Amino acid sequence: MGRQVAIASAGFSEHASKRSDVSMPELAQEAIEDCLKKVPSVEFDDINAYVNGNMPAFEGSNLPELWMTDWMGARNKPLMRVTTGGTTGGSVAIAGYYTVTAELPGIDTVLAVAFEQQSQGDTSVGLASVAYGEISILNNLGIPYDQLNRLLSAGAAIGVAAYQATTYMNKCRITEEDLARVVVQNRRNAAKTWWAHLKMPNLTIEDVLDTPYVQYPLRYGMVCPASDGCCAMLFTTEEKAKDMCDIPVYVNGVASVANETAVLGYDGGGSAQVDPSVQLGAMKSAELAYGQAGISFPRKEIDYAEVYAPFPNQELMWVEKLGLFEETTAPEMYETGVTARDGELPVNCSGGVNSTNAIGASAMERPATAALQIMGKASNQVPKTVHTAIGSGWGGSLNFITLLAMSDEPRRRFT
Amino acid sequence: MDKVGIVGYNQVKLYSDANYGRYEMIFEAVRGAIDNAGLKKKDITTVISATNDYYDGRTISNCFTVEVGGGYLADESKVEMDGAHAMLYGMMRILSGNHKLAVIWGGSMPSCYPYHSTRLYETDPTWERPNGYVNDITASGFQMRAYMDKYNLQTEDIAKVAVKNRRNAAKNPLALDEAQNPDITTKDVLESEIYSDPVTELMVGQPCDGVAAVLLAPERQALKITDKPVWITGVGYNQETYYIGERELHTSNSMEASAKMAYGMANINDPVNEIDIAELHETCAHEELIFAESLGLAEKGKGPEISSEINGDLPINPSGGALGGNPPCAAGLIRVIEAVKQIRGEAGTYQVNGAKRAIASGQIGMCAQNNIVYVLEGGE
Repeated sequence: MGRQVAIASAGFSEHASKRSDVSMPELAQEAIEDCLKKVPSVEFDDINAYVNGNMPAFEGSNLPELWMTDWMGARNKPLMRVTTGGTTGGSVAIAGYYTVTAELPGIDTVLAVAFEQQSQGDTSVGLASVAYGEISILNNLGIPYDQLNRLLSAGAAIGVAAYQATTYMNKCRITEEDLARVVVQNRRNAAKTWWAHLKMPNLTIEDVLDTPYVQYPLRYGMVCPASDGCCAMLFTTEEKAKDMCDIPVYVNGVASVANETAVLGYDGGGSAQVDPSVQLGAMKSAELAYGQAGISFPRKEIDYAEVYAPFPNQELMWVEKLGLFEETTAPEMYETGVTARDGELPVNCSGGVNSTNAIGASAMERPATAALQIMGKASNQVPKTVHTAIGSGWGGSLNFITLLAMSDEPRRRFT
Repeated sequence: MDKVGIVGYNQVKLYSDANYGRYEMIFEAVRGAIDNAGLKKKDITTVISATNDYYDGRTISNCFTVEVGGGYLADESKVEMDGAHAMLYGMMRILSGNHKLAVIWGGSMPSCYPYHSTRLYETDPTWERPNGYVNDITASGFQMRAYMDKYNLQTEDIAKVAVKNRRNAAKNPLALDEAQNPDITTKDVLESEIYSDPVTELMVGQPCDGVAAVLLAPERQALKITDKPVWITGVGYNQETYYIGERELHTSNSMEASAKMAYGMANINDPVNEIDIAELHETCAHEELIFAESLGLAEKGKGPEISSEINGDLPINPSGGALGGNPPCAAGLIRVIEAVKQIRGEAGTYQVNGAKRAIASGQIGMCAQNNIVYVLEGGE
């Protein structure tokens, strides 16, 4: 049942707040070109199937994969579209993995494409519609519209993240300075990544703390930008990957576990989850993916991590929930440089989602960067040799997690 | 390829305006499928849903369906196509060996949104959308005209398909009430309102509210769960180019390529004789004929000559097809379920005698730009 799957290449488009120089299909084409440039032996004819995804509500185009068929080289080829909100990129990557591992006849090499061109639409309006759905509940219960403001902020990403941040800060007894430290590390890393959006090589903690609040405790300088960009990954079989590239990266474990939906609560005032920083879904995903990959001691066995964190508190949270550090110890690791580029366990050397967030692509850029770190081809390559790495995604209403565990050895356990 | 079995299914009754909630409908479909297989919620390891953010009117439409779809703490994902495509992803997950029971569900509630206007957002935003002349209905008009012109067919040939499917739908208790008409005639179809010449109202599958769900399991588990598993022995899916003007609308390249892939997997060389029934996702009557030809069930242009009644040589859409109700994101999955019912002998009044091997298809896009087809078989 199933077969080993390898990543042969990954590519990015340039990211910026407005890529008005290209259309949506052209943006995808840019990333695909960058991806295929790294594997010169691969022609479009060698690609047997496609997986595609974005968050369609942000650009005002439904099912845009139909439109971009020819720009991806997908004419008259099998294509599947996967979208799951913020985790879309991770879900697309995982679907690419499953398309190869399923051993359908004639399908060995799969190109997975995830993108977002947010400048085409309005992301906040798109995100608010996650909350709008609850208006019916509020009306039924006779709750007045003057609470709509709270509803909107709670529905969009920063609202839920702020709840999460305060509960997490309370648990760890940390201050805004600890959050700012994460931002500084990310944006300095982004300065060395060619495709990143917010490049700030000289950013300091004071600079971040000088900016106004968007919603306590998250300041303007701490939150991710809205980017236009695309990411593409090439998945193939173990044998073919060896011909295509020098160091194939094997996908040994995948998981995308859904947690309870964080409904806003009937007074519109907060999450129904008792503590949004608990994240059972992330823990279950880690258990599943590490189980498949045979990783028993994540802290010792994982050399590099890319986690999906638009907000700094989430980066601290995920590295704990995904088993890299003990609970509540992550802030200390950032302070002592363990997670820095030359540290013991580097995290988000691409600058992470905090520096570049083309939403549909972001969750794919995590495993893509992690894979390039293993290959030694990453833009901000870490000095140490990376054997095993993870790439995660986060989305929905705090409730979706995707996780890919990758390694330079084929170690997936078959059941 | 290892065998994957369909071990349970359920479809809710189709309504043009279902007077209950979206989430209740999803729960009813998924819970029914699990009950149908005699399983429990805790047995689910993966859930693949099929919804569309535009149709549901909210970003991340799957975000609020986690619990009702059985996805809480399960490995979950969403395919934003038809439910039949979601089944493909579920099948891949079973084949990977990572999962032992997959729930697939798909559906939508077009009573809450203007379906045909929403589909305008599928057109490209630079040229077609501002002009507004291409939507799913006008594109079908081009397609039907192209097909009739190419093979010298008459509108009566197409209307006969609508008559057959709407009569079949009258026998299917789950079909849309408005689509059920045991006494409909060709004249009724041709004289109904013109939607986009030559397509008339009764040739179009009416968008309606509905959710469907199936359960998949690997061979070993499937045999333990049910005495009557239905095996997926072949699957093919394919996408053709976007611009309507660049496509050969009188045929379906994507369906032909899908059929080639699926028949290759299932070792089918002579589809006319080897396939007992077909359930095809036709959003308009003429698509059934185009698909049947592309699937090798008839020569090109000879689709109208197929004996496709319930008691015919090769019954097509005995359930009434999507003309008996076309719930977005569920219609293709319902075709799969109907094929499963035929193989298991559970189709009741529209049962085809001796149905052992069936094909079922799903589609998305203007004029079926992306098609998927399954070969389904009964037996051990």
